Amino acid sequence: MIYRSQRVAYFYFLAALVLFALQVAFGFLLIAKYLGPDPLLYVVNFATAKEIHTNLLLVWLLTGFMGAAYYLVPEESRTEIHSETLAWVQLGLWLAIGVTTIVGYLFGVTEGRKFLEMPFALKLGVVVVFVIFLYNVAMTIRNAGRFTTTEGILIGGLASAALLFVPGLIPFDNYTLDRFYRWWVVHLWVEGVWELIQGGLLAFLLIRLSGADREVLEKWLYVIVGLTFLSGILGTGHHYYWIGTPRYWLWVGGVFSALEPLAFLGMAAYAYNTLRRSGLAHPNTTALHWTIGSALFSTLGAGILGLSHTWPQVNRWTHGTHITTMHGHMAFFGAYVMIVLAIITYSLPALTGRSDEERQTGLGLWAFWLMVGGMFGMTMAFAASGITQTYLERILGLGYLETQQKIQVHYLMVLGAGTIFATGVALFLIDFVRAGAPETATRAVPAITVAAR
Amino acid sequence: MTKATTRRFFFLGTLLFTLVFIGLTIQTHTTISARTHDETLTDAVKRGLHVWAAYNCENCHTLLGEGAYYAPDLTQIVAQRGEVYLGQFLADPSRFYSETRNGRLMPTLGLSQQQIQDVIAFLGWVGKIDTNGWPPRPLVVSGVSVRGLPGVETSATAQGPAARGQAIFNGRGACSTCHAVAGDTVLVGPSLAQVAVRAGERVTDPAYTGKAKDAQGYLRESILDPSAFLVPGDRFSTPVHTSLMPGSYSTQLTGEQVDDLVAYLTTLD
Repeated sequence: MIYRSQRVAYFYFLAALVLFALQVAFGFLLIAKYLGPDPLLYVVNFATAKEIHTNLLLVWLLTGFMGAAYYLVPEESRTEIHSETLAWVQLGLWLAIGVTTIVGYLFGVTEGRKFLEMPFALKLGVVVVFVIFLYNVAMTIRNAGRFTTTEGILIGGLASAALLFVPGLIPFDNYTLDRFYRWWVVHLWVEGVWELIQGGLLAFLLIRLSGADREVLEKWLYVIVGLTFLSGILGTGHHYYWIGTPRYWLWVGGVFSALEPLAFLGMAAYAYNTLRRSGLAHPNTTALHWTIGSALFSTLGAGILGLSHTWPQVNRWTHGTHITTMHGHMAFFGAYVMIVLAIITYSLPALTGRSDEERQTGLGLWAFWLMVGGMFGMTMAFAASGITQTYLERILGLGYLETQQKIQVHYLMVLGAGTIFATGVALFLIDFVRAGAPETATRAVPAITVAAR
Repeated sequence: MTKATTRRFFFLGTLLFTLVFIGLTIQTHTTISARTHDETLTDAVKRGLHVWAAYNCENCHTLLGEGAYYAPDLTQIVAQRGEVYLGQFLADPSRFYSETRNGRLMPTLGLSQQQIQDVIAFLGWVGKIDTNGWPPRPLVVSGVSVRGLPGVETSATAQGPAARGQAIFNGRGACSTCHAVAGDTVLVGPSLAQVAVRAGERVTDPAYTGKAKDAQGYLRESILDPSAFLVPGDRFSTPVHTSLMPGSYSTQLTGEQVDDLVAYLTTLD
């Protein structure tokens, strides 16, 4: 750790990982309900378990992003965080809102809009958290007077995410408009500004892990995030095919969605070429695995599996089936879960005051391969169930309930692959805890030599 | 290519596509009123959206294909099932479905009568939104009425009354979403296997209180005025003796179409 205040990142990461584990636990509850029967029908019904599963995902990823920013900004701007206290207040408030939301869901307090179920008052709390965060980061950069492109892209992504949260606060009586603006938040987050966050973190990690030239990397970073917006903004149209919006969205959404894989292919080529050229062997190979993994898996999950069902002539048959679940799982995992785990794995030695060599554990690599393998298996199982569902229910016209009974075997496969994935998550947590407590201020001196070597 | 060039590409590209997106958004707003029949967006529909949201319906169901995938899509449910049935179903889903038979069961939500009417009004309104032709084929909750592959099923231009009636049964009338034609299969309404034989017996039964004189007349009456006579039992009617079958077929179908449908029903064995 070069800057004492960076240690706050450790606690953001710890909170993120605990929420991640909880998300996975709720995933098991969901697949158990798919397999049925459901003894918890009147305790925690599917809808409640599902909103907790997806909301925990958003909350823990955002916690990870904010932690990543608190680790990265001091190093990029070469200064302490403007106010460490404010960072603590922010974390406390954020977790209080998160816990209140989840407990509220268990008691049926919800706004019932997929991904944006959080009650209005708590949503305002989220806005406050973002304001605190952006103020703290902006002041840090201002104090330092040094602002890099990499941190600019990361912070730009987080600031835009805060801005795009606002349309989700507006209530609509017309369901079509309600849907229209819900996608401004959900789509423009995950297929827009969050990719800035991923791109910024990827560039930071590649610079650190490969020793590649910053100017070259940042130049290409602009191309990648430029391609993301070029395709992603109008790509929102693939959500506007069937909700009551005009027919031209079929063309707009189809064409620009077809371009969306370009940004991801660019990202994968970017990561691969950087490491191939550098020839540097960074000792933290686990972090390297997660970094390259993120670039490759997001290409597969968000890019290719997304493309598999965004073309209107395909989507009219697959819309609202497990094809979406297939794409959603690998896209979120590749683009966002892996990049957060990459920055955690990369920063942990410094945060806990150890050398990279000392932190290189077999456990960490096992966690990587089990999670990657488990997620691949789950994605394939959802693909099989989604394709079968599309043919039986949408094309042949079999009833929804009969179709579900025919595809139970695929849910068993989800359960099997999910167990492998969960084992990986458990190993990652054990590895994290084993790294030891975060470094205190007095132990900061040797860490500087490690980090600066 | 320098960093300044790529930075310009990023900022100008983003600005351009943001402006186009905002332009299309404004254009879309001018069409929503007509495409969603804004004049029918009553207070009940607005309240129904709040019921839909407050009870977290879209984290099990899909509507317009959006939501969760644990329960059936409800975009056309009001047209398929009718308001009377849905009112009874929402009050107690376990009366119609069971976990052992159907694999899944919706919990009884404890909705008030007002909430039930409102959410049905909301779903009925959603069902009339212009969705650019989605879904391309009707989505049904349950049923084993495999209708053949697209393009090879019986079309409305089929020759002969029974063939035309079959097309109405499976298509426009949506009869097949509630009635099976295989024996002993209860979807929502009773199976229609050998219905003409039963209809013939029914009209001669002293307990029969309707106006029909023969099997064909009984079938006509059942389609056009489902509550005219209720078969004893509580499975297919409300406690206040109203049939759960939609009463809208007298306005939805022409006289000729009803004749075709009756012709088809008499062929079922």
